[in-house]
Amino acid sequence: MGKQATEMLKGTLEGIVLALLADRSAYGYEITGWLREQGFTDIAEGTVYALLVRIEQRRLVDVEKVPSAKGPPRKVYSINAEGREYLDEFWRTWSFLAERLDQLRKGEK
Amino acid sequence: MAPRWIEKVTGSLEGKKRYRQYKARRDELPGSYRTGIEAVERYLMYAGAITTGEVLVQMLEDLVDLFEQSAADGTPLNAVVGQDPVEFAETFLANYSDGRWVNKERARLVAAIETAETEPAAEAPQEGRANKS
Repeated sequence: MGKQATEMLKGTLEGIVLALLADRSAYGYEITGWLREQGFTDIAEGTVYALLVRIEQRRLVDVEKVPSAKGPPRKVYSINAEGREYLDEFWRTWSFLAERLDQLRKGEK
Repeated sequence: MAPRWIEKVTGSLEGKKRYRQYKARRDELPGSYRTGIEAVERYLMYAGAITTGEVLVQMLEDLVDLFEQSAADGTPLNAVVGQDPVEFAETFLANYSDGRWVNKERARLVAAIETAETEPAAEAPQEGRANKS
């Protein structure tokens, strides 16, 4: 991923992660795994972790600690009502932006 | 490796206890994870300038959670902090801005601009300066 893609991803990662969590609850490393599968290969585990800390602080997700065979207890993240509201707003903003940019590109031709 | 002043900042007895627990967990990390967390911790201390003990301890606990988890999973250090460790450290640090010294200056800047906006815009700069009422 180039610098530009990294910058753009930064602004949308929160929405992407919430959209993933809207389907089902997940551990942090599962979320990173999914993102890698989706082609976001350069994304650091720590960056995803920092984002999860943020959405937890902002109470967009519910967190349950589950004991683990190896290492410390793992956190399972589930989207809550506030998170869904935030996600709806994210999609609205995304549609608006995508539409405007599309118009801009058509205008160029 | 942590600077001395941290002991002052962590303040309360509970805070000190949590900080000691953090250090113990950090020191038990294997090889590169321990070296890595020490490097990140150093950066967070200097770049973060976090002056609220509770926020600081919370940050360190969150950090060691990540490193313990990564060590347990065998996630290599460069996949944890990514290609740009500064980028990672800054993203991580942004979560604890409540406790940062710079926040006071940010609040001061916002307040100063608000105050400035209530002042009449000088139409004629020379005169405006002369009668400031």
